[in-house]
Amino acid sequence: MEHEATQLEKQHVHSVYENTAAYFSDLQTKAWPRVRNFLLEQKPGSLVVDIGCGTGKYLSVNSQVYNLGCDYCEGLVEIAKKKGDEVLVCDNLNLPFRDQCFNAVISIGVIHHFSTKQRRIKAIKEMARILTPGGQIMIYVWAMEQKNRHFEKQDVFVPWNKALCSRHFSESNQSGDKGEFVHSAKGQDIHPAQLVISECSYQNNLQPEADSKHPRSMDHCLPTACCMKISEEENRFYSALGRSFRSWFFSRSLDESALRKQSDKMKHLKREGVWANSAVPIQHSRHCSLDLGHHGALLNEQSLDDDDEVFVESLSLKKPQWSPATDALKDLSLNGGHPSAAQSKGDKASFINGPVEDKDCVCDCNKDGAGKSDASKFFKRTSTTDSTDSALDSALSVGEQTDAMLDTKAFMRYYHVFREGELSSLVEENVPELQILSSCYDHGNWCIIAERRG
Amino acid sequence: MKLLTHNLLSSHVPGLRPGGGFPLRIEAAEVRVRPVPFNAAFVSRLVPRLRWDALREAAESLPPEPTPGYEADEEFLRRLHHVLLEVEVLEGSLQCPDSGRRFPISRGVPNLLLSEDEA
Repeated sequence: MEHEATQLEKQHVHSVYENTAAYFSDLQTKAWPRVRNFLLEQKPGSLVVDIGCGTGKYLSVNSQVYNLGCDYCEGLVEIAKKKGDEVLVCDNLNLPFRDQCFNAVISIGVIHHFSTKQRRIKAIKEMARILTPGGQIMIYVWAMEQKNRHFEKQDVFVPWNKALCSRHFSESNQSGDKGEFVHSAKGQDIHPAQLVISECSYQNNLQPEADSKHPRSMDHCLPTACCMKISEEENRFYSALGRSFRSWFFSRSLDESALRKQSDKMKHLKREGVWANSAVPIQHSRHCSLDLGHHGALLNEQSLDDDDEVFVESLSLKKPQWSPATDALKDLSLNGGHPSAAQSKGDKASFINGPVEDKDCVCDCNKDGAGKSDASKFFKRTSTTDSTDSALDSALSVGEQTDAMLDTKAFMRYYHVFREGELSSLVEENVPELQILSSCYDHGNWCIIAERRG
Repeated sequence: MKLLTHNLLSSHVPGLRPGGGFPLRIEAAEVRVRPVPFNAAFVSRLVPRLRWDALREAAESLPPEPTPGYEADEEFLRRLHHVLLEVEVLEGSLQCPDSGRRFPISRGVPNLLLSEDEA
């Protein structure tokens, strides 16, 4: 499981950040107020570290303290260094700091990238270890509960869109014209400059499971369009990403996979509280384990290396890239759509499930009738939740719809989104050295502040 | 990498004896000195947080120990300030004193990642 976890994170966290780091220097996002305040409240002369600092957004908030930043991604750290920050490259799971040396630690949008519960716990424990007694930590993670969108599952793959990070994007947010957007049709090149940002209303998609069988009658924009409502307030990297997502890729979490394996073998399974209480059903057909072998689900290794090609060219995915996935799915469907059986072969033959769910389409923009029908056709196919053949259908329909589907050359980034109370419970039950002082919901994130017990 | 940062770093190679891995031995190929505005209160507050012996090893210009009343000793604080904040190692490596494992410093950034096999 550790190996699978590291592979998943390597492919869908580290590699993505490394390959997209160059675009981050353009991205001027505001520091989040609560985080700023937390930093500003630290006493002068404090030693403060930002674990997962990225480009160092928070490292210059409080000049009265010593700010150190670290990140796994060399590319991002380099950017921070150029800004004059004191930074280093390291692993959250193995922090190269002596015990109890920091007065404050911040972890903003980081631990949701860890793919298993144990790793998330380890990350928090490491951060607690380096805190001096009485020192405080602030943790921000992406919330499952979102205002305008519904995460159906907690383990998601999210495409990264260059347009979000480019200068063109942030400059073009002047347009307030509803419904005016440029979407990419098959075969057309897409340049960030061509994407006009418009004001869109988002689907409020808190539909119960049962309804998802019925195709939406509402208009959907083509999944490829990137439409975002940008206001000053919203111009934050994470929430910006969240709004722009046109498709969600859900995977069975590695924890779930492990559990399923066990339950297949054993009658009695001691389930951890989280799973036992989880309201999210384990769905058989649609949610397949992430392929962790070299049949990288949507992207093979090559596409990740060639940045230019990925971002300048059009959206068409070459067929060969799909074959491993569809092969994998054939395996799955042969096994009656039960990923666990496929998994028992060992890491092959699994696939990210049907990507686009109608409930997660983010836009109401519907200028293009043709796009609409494509989209709704597509949505129809993937909207069923319990038909066992839908997994294969999804793959095929995705294969056919690759051009229209999404910016498939976008890097897929893994997130485990947190339910309400999950982060607190995680700390309370597993990290006794920390005492939670407060928790809140802030712009789509769960946030806690905890203190190292002395 | 500033020497204050170095003072906080510890090797995390697995299997070290308790308390092992600190301090990392600096092998500096390129060093630069850059002025930083002096803030006496700031430096003074850092003193209790420091592992003094490790700092001395890194910078031999310091006295054997901070003497009582250092808070008011501006000359001492300035010297300390210089050592902690104005000296940067740009190129070189940090060596774990117990395992011998070296971590590179490049363009001022130390890389302390362990490989998957090591971790």
